[in-house]
Amino acid sequence: MRKFFWIAAVILVVAALAYWRLFSPQGAPTVTVYVSHDQVFSEPILKDFEKDTGIRVRAVYDTEETKSAGAMNRLIAEKNNPQADVYWANEPIRAEVLRQQRIAAPYLSPNAVGVPKTFRDPQGYWTGFAARARVLIVHQDENPKPTSIFSYADPRWRGRTVIANPLFGTTTDQIAALFVLLGDERARAFMQSLHDNAVKLSPSNGDSADLVARSQFAFSLVDSDDVVNRMNRHEPVTMVYPDQGAEEIGCFIVPNAAVLIAGSPHQDAGKKLIDYLLSKETERKLAFSDAAQIPLHPGVATPPGLQPIDKIKAMQVDYAAIAAKLQAIQSFLKSWGRS
Amino acid sequence: MSMIEFRAVCKDYQGRRVIDTLSLTIEAKERVVLFGPSGCGKSTTLQLIAGFVTPDAGDILIDDEFVATAGKNLREPGRRGVGMVFQDLALWPHMTVAENIEFGLRAKKIAESERKRRVREMVDLVGLGDYLNAKPGELSGGQQQRVALVRTLAVAPRIVLMDEPLSTLDEALNVQLRQEILQLHGDLGFTLVYVTHSRDEATALGARILYFRHGQIDSTAS
Amino acid sequence: MAKRLTLAAAALTFAAIGLAPVLTMVARTFYVDGEFSLTAYQALLAAGQQLTLLMGHSVVLSASVTMLAIVVGAPLGVLLGRTDLPWRGVFTMLLTLPLLVPPYVMAVAWFAVLGRLSTPATAQFLSSTFFGLYGCIGALFTAFMPVVMLLTIAYAGTVNPRLEQAGLLMARWPTVLRRVTLPLIAPAILFAAVLVFLLTLGEVGVPTFLRYPVYPVEILTQFAAFYDFSAATAAAIPMLLVTLLILALEIRMLHGPGLELSAATLVASNAPIRLGRWRLPLLGLVVAWTLVTVAAPLAALVIQSSSLSVVADALARASDSILRSVIFAMTGATLLTALGFFCGYLVHHRALPFWRSVDALALFLFTLPGAVIGIGLISLWNRPATNAIYATPAIIILGYLAQYAVLPMRMTAAILQQSPPSLERAAQLCGASWFMTLRYVVAPLAKRGLIAAWIIAYVFCLRDLGITMVVYPPGADTLPVRILTLMANGAPSLIAALCVILIVATLAPLGAAALWQRRAGLS
Repeated sequence: MRKFFWIAAVILVVAALAYWRLFSPQGAPTVTVYVSHDQVFSEPILKDFEKDTGIRVRAVYDTEETKSAGAMNRLIAEKNNPQADVYWANEPIRAEVLRQQRIAAPYLSPNAVGVPKTFRDPQGYWTGFAARARVLIVHQDENPKPTSIFSYADPRWRGRTVIANPLFGTTTDQIAALFVLLGDERARAFMQSLHDNAVKLSPSNGDSADLVARSQFAFSLVDSDDVVNRMNRHEPVTMVYPDQGAEEIGCFIVPNAAVLIAGSPHQDAGKKLIDYLLSKETERKLAFSDAAQIPLHPGVATPPGLQPIDKIKAMQVDYAAIAAKLQAIQSFLKSWGRS
Repeated sequence: MSMIEFRAVCKDYQGRRVIDTLSLTIEAKERVVLFGPSGCGKSTTLQLIAGFVTPDAGDILIDDEFVATAGKNLREPGRRGVGMVFQDLALWPHMTVAENIEFGLRAKKIAESERKRRVREMVDLVGLGDYLNAKPGELSGGQQQRVALVRTLAVAPRIVLMDEPLSTLDEALNVQLRQEILQLHGDLGFTLVYVTHSRDEATALGARILYFRHGQIDSTAS
Repeated sequence: MAKRLTLAAAALTFAAIGLAPVLTMVARTFYVDGEFSLTAYQALLAAGQQLTLLMGHSVVLSASVTMLAIVVGAPLGVLLGRTDLPWRGVFTMLLTLPLLVPPYVMAVAWFAVLGRLSTPATAQFLSSTFFGLYGCIGALFTAFMPVVMLLTIAYAGTVNPRLEQAGLLMARWPTVLRRVTLPLIAPAILFAAVLVFLLTLGEVGVPTFLRYPVYPVEILTQFAAFYDFSAATAAAIPMLLVTLLILALEIRMLHGPGLELSAATLVASNAPIRLGRWRLPLLGLVVAWTLVTVAAPLAALVIQSSSLSVVADALARASDSILRSVIFAMTGATLLTALGFFCGYLVHHRALPFWRSVDALALFLFTLPGAVIGIGLISLWNRPATNAIYATPAIIILGYLAQYAVLPMRMTAAILQQSPPSLERAAQLCGASWFMTLRYVVAPLAKRGLIAAWIIAYVFCLRDLGITMVVYPPGADTLPVRILTLMANGAPSLIAALCVILIVATLAPLGAAALWQRRAGLS
């Protein structure tokens, strides 16, 4: 019995010491960042920031693929006593939601200069960097290849196409963008035509890409990095930038977005981190890592397999409008996903 | 002066009356046997004296002091001066014989040297001096009975309750232990309340025998 | 008095830790922009048909997994716990492995196995059968079967041998097992069944991965896609109803007073059951079962990660997380065992009138999706005054205490059930205070059980995802969280290596505990 107490006591002491070591306030300045960009790619960038500036980074990671109630929910739940200084969003719509909920604070970073106006908030509530394009992953054997997202409605591919669940991630954004661009009526008709043409649903873009690579489907609408990764692994797929014709709507671009959180404890360190994220150097790193992001600054090299941003016909659409539309079409998307 | 007094005590279990308006008086140093068939309320009477069970009606007095009244225990079991030998003996299996006996003394905050002396005295009383460091599981049935007995007596209770402690022993051992109990009672002078359904045990141990039936004392029985 | 005060304090502590965040959440569901509103519930009713369907899926899945787990787990428990089957300890360890990791790891491992056999037939199987109800049943059954098996082993060993001996005089072992042993440990098996049912009901990772729409995923969807806390909490309320139903069912099946046990000081446990000519065939069966359900998926993980550089990379990326995981889980398990002990004592002795509410609350919190508890914890604790709790791992520990208290609590109640009340009463009559009785009589007698409770609590804390994911302080993630966040676009070999590390981190303290027990048993 006595031995039991001793062991319990030792465990408690060790735990207390470790607790102290891990969480005692240390001299070095810190910055807290919530990250929705994939941890595999974002963590090295943040480590480099620590090394370059001496500011300690405390991060909360999130992942769009697992639908976890992660960073965004925390930001909203913590609104009255913010813990995070910076939010690194993997798409600007979430950043817009934060602006609308008054969780974001404006900050015009000097490094935002050069980022095309479409990809940043004019008041600096968020600034885009390192983008993905929404592209078609097409199986090599497919001939002719689809050239537009409207190919989903083409009877030629009936039952042979797949799309990620539109309730989540970049797919939601893109559909909301279509609603903004085409108007509700035409967008709903398009969505109905997906059902009519027996389009299958997958849980995520990554799954969609795998299904096409495994020859189970002809093509799917995914993120550009999903395609680059599979091409680097020599899987039998190619990338098509959709709707590039003169009369067509263009390819939907999804930049990362850096957001300063209003009323957070380390505003200065937060701004430094945002400057760092928006730098050309960070864009270059994100372009040449497996993240395969497209740089938005002019003059930053683009990795093989990807077009530079100025060579892509981008969809011209206001991200604030998309964010607003997203809320409006929630129930439609839910019922669409179920039927 | 009475040591234990019941005044019209009632106790129900799940709607069944187990003790029915029971009144009785037991004098100091008396040997009383509660005798009767299973389920007649004998054991419940012991539990009421010890304080494990609260009466639904009536009063219980020990040493002329109210210890329980309808629906309420006024004195906790440990502070009634009562010891008990349980039917299953309730020896703590993880403690040695010495530790079993010492436990009550320790609870009473008696100094260690005095504790050791008392433990020695107790085991010698029942001839178990060689088994101080044995665990109960290593003892025979009779030895276990003796340990249970002296564990109860070690803290010198005024009242000792015994709930059929000999029921599992063979005839010879049973007779022998009855003698030992009588001897200890004579030497130490406690009040003994003994529960049994064995006629032999009852006649051997009881200076007074109370016949129980349906939660009452049956004064007509003999 | 000390007893009632302490037990009341323990129950209140638990209520404050577990109930307060949930009440905060529930209260919020009635307000929209500061005004009283029933919108969340109207939306719930409006979606009624859809939700009923999802709940139906959940119940079908949970019932199937529970049924299978009992049909396989109870006999396996008897076989491994009571017979002379060779290498029983080894099989017990191996078959327990799937319980030690988050269930989605098992699903990933199964997928790795099936992916390896890439023939058109497996592709067909993958899309038609594995991804869906049957895959979920398979993965969750392998993950949760050990619960039934372990509880059967634990309790089959404590049955009073005399009761079996009495049966053996009249019948042979199979009959005695069926008619005496199993009925005697029925409460333990029933409890195991309840646990498996609730674990399956609350499971989110596997159904998400295998694309089977179940009810809790709907709750998470409300959180993740719409940031709608009120709707998500309102949607959790039907889970409460199912839990209460299960609890009522359990109470009904266990009704009637239990036997008062006697102190079995004299009796040594029965010798192992001799299997005789069945020994080899049964061994073959157990080996085959272990190979298929445990060795194959775990081997697939190990093979995927079997390169030094990958393991080195995994360690470099996750060493802090491993350390934190182990420390958090140890702290959580220790506090859980203490809290669970007092609450379990309360439930066993029905020492306070509200004992049943404490039990029901614990069971309910166990069923609630971790994300709901997590958001509740944020709402309650994220204030400048309580930053010392919210901005530190204390918040994770509070989450563990809320969600997993039922485990040590029920285990303590079951352990106390094993020793006769006279042991405690004898100490009481000696004049020992309640604490002294606890320290010298109750706790030492329950020691083995309490160690088991600690281990179970440790395992559940270590693999927790739901709560940790939502509340972990910035920069202080745990290994399961890290695995999950790295899974997005992380190399499969890295993920596999991290899963293997997680298994090792779980096993190390268990191995130490086993060694300690063995030494204690010898001395």
